[in-house]
Amino acid sequence: MSTTTLLDTSSHQAAQSRWAVETHGLTKRFGENVAMNGVELLVPRGCAFGYLGPNGAGKTTLIRVLLGLTHADAGTMSLLGYPVPKHRDLALARVGAIVDEPRFHGHLSGRENLQILAAAREPAARDRIESSLERVGLLHRADDKVSKYSMGMRQRLGVAACLIGDPELLILDEPMNGLDPAGMAEMRDMIVSLVAEGCTVVLSSHLLDEVERTCDAVAIVDRGKVIRQGPISELLAGASLALQVECSEPDRARSLLEGSTIGAHIEVGPLGLGITLPAGTAREVIAEINRILVEGGISVYRLQEIQASLESWFLQVTSRLGAPE
Amino acid sequence: MPTGAMIATRFMELRKRRGLMIALILVNIGIPTVFLLVRLLAHAFAPKSYGPAGGYDVYTGLCTGVLYVFGFIVAATLGCSAGSVDLTEGMFRHLVVTGRSRLALYLARIPAGLAIIVPLVAAGFTIVCAVCVFAAPTRLNYDGVNVPAGLSRAGFESWAGNHPDIVICDFPYNGPGLPNVPCGPNGPVVNVPPGSQGLAQITPSQLKAAALLIARQDYSGYATQFLYPSDSLMVKTGLWIELEALIGLIVGLGLASLLGQRTVAVILMIVLEIILTPIFSRAHIPHLLNLQRSVVGVAMAHLTPSGLPVFGGGGGGPGGGQGNPLLVPESTTVAVCVVVAWLVAWTVLGAWRMMTRDA
Repeated sequence: MSTTTLLDTSSHQAAQSRWAVETHGLTKRFGENVAMNGVELLVPRGCAFGYLGPNGAGKTTLIRVLLGLTHADAGTMSLLGYPVPKHRDLALARVGAIVDEPRFHGHLSGRENLQILAAAREPAARDRIESSLERVGLLHRADDKVSKYSMGMRQRLGVAACLIGDPELLILDEPMNGLDPAGMAEMRDMIVSLVAEGCTVVLSSHLLDEVERTCDAVAIVDRGKVIRQGPISELLAGASLALQVECSEPDRARSLLEGSTIGAHIEVGPLGLGITLPAGTAREVIAEINRILVEGGISVYRLQEIQASLESWFLQVTSRLGAPE
Repeated sequence: MPTGAMIATRFMELRKRRGLMIALILVNIGIPTVFLLVRLLAHAFAPKSYGPAGGYDVYTGLCTGVLYVFGFIVAATLGCSAGSVDLTEGMFRHLVVTGRSRLALYLARIPAGLAIIVPLVAAGFTIVCAVCVFAAPTRLNYDGVNVPAGLSRAGFESWAGNHPDIVICDFPYNGPGLPNVPCGPNGPVVNVPPGSQGLAQITPSQLKAAALLIARQDYSGYATQFLYPSDSLMVKTGLWIELEALIGLIVGLGLASLLGQRTVAVILMIVLEIILTPIFSRAHIPHLLNLQRSVVGVAMAHLTPSGLPVFGGGGGGPGGGQGNPLLVPESTTVAVCVVVAWLVAWTVLGAWRMMTRDA
């Protein structure tokens, strides 16, 4: 089989793959430290995917391994259906990425830096420089030296560098760093528009509320392992049910509820009772709590269900609060 | 393999480093230009005190002492910059993520660097050649005596026969057969005062014969003196200097890529050129001769065009680097092999490190 035929076959197989990023057993060690420990990750095509984890969990290491910036010690991975590093050139031709803080040649302008990167890509990339600069709002400063750019401008130039490759997959490591609220909103809108155009965006971030607003699915990594992944709505549905109760006698209310068969974890705080029920608890339990308190002669001023947020769920499942569910 | 666009953008990136370009131009072109300009002006304003600006001696001195050494150093600086700035300025990561082969990213730097350094070295060399040829002296200074240049053996002897007083008293001579002719303040003393003992009167024919004897012995030394460099010498010198610049660029590029930084690499290159090469060229260390021969500067010393002195002094003589008894012996074939080996080895090392380095 000729090389052209092999590549055609690879391209066909890649196009049929439903995963933008696929890893199995991916491992990376730095001396004694295991930064990635058998990572199993599946990122579906055409979505915004958040990759979350505490500091030192291995988020940036995974991104660097996927992009070929460092090598993996074990495991397999593919980008857009192309196994890497075997077909790294084919995969990365359609991938754009920002890893850590984007840095460029300071003595060159933004446009000249993009020309260098476009030259390393396919010839058509050069024609996308202007449109990419315009899309990130840097066209009016494109001929200024990068040494005069602010951090936010460099971040945007980094995004422009991704866009000149007309990517099908965008991998962004902490893209909100250095951006003011307006910049964050612009970045969020751009991610949403790229996803709408069919691009897959993988976003690594500490800003959980930004991820919750931007992403459709997430994976949580802790101590080098992916411990949860899936659509945000499904993951939050598995979160604990939390209630806030403001009543006349919080201590007696607590005793009443702890003596019941509800099985809730109850804390008394300045705002009243904080009640946490296990995941999967039926909503009828909320009514049961109200009945127990009222029949016990306690006046209930407010009973409110606290919507599970990505942050609260994240804190529940990461090792910082103990064993995962 | 790197594309034309990659090479062009790499050339653009290097060319726009203003400080580096100014340094390259100042050293390669500025130093010889200023030197020659001062000589031209000095000769123009005080020709009796300052000789012509150009000439063969000025040419050899500038080529081996300035263009050769500083050409290497500036080429090495350029190579070290090309090999490290992407990494130190954070651009390397972006380039790797494009998916382009790291080997291609490395190799693009070579033609881009050559496109800068070759014209710069050529420009400086051209200025030196132009001044040394067009502002050359009109008469040769042979052992302190102004003599016509370019004479054949017969012509030289004929001139000597017509100027016996100068030849007898001012030309060097080691050998028998010369009459005992004392030299006074005005030339040979040929008329012996009355009553003097022991000195026979020297006839003009005897003086002429003595002058011819001296001229025959001195012709080989005279023949190596030139008013200005010949075309073939200039071509060979130009190629030799460009080869030295190429070596500086390639080795600097590989070393900086290996180390991942520029400053230490530049320092090591300067140490190689200024300290190690002169030592290894001349010190005959019994158990290290093969190691000495493997140093590229020693090999290049042996490839010095005939008519140029070897860098560091000592004189090249008619055979240039080859046959110079002061140099560690090395054949031309081995010297060429050493040069090629250095070019290949440092390219491989630098490319390997770029391909294996974490970005």
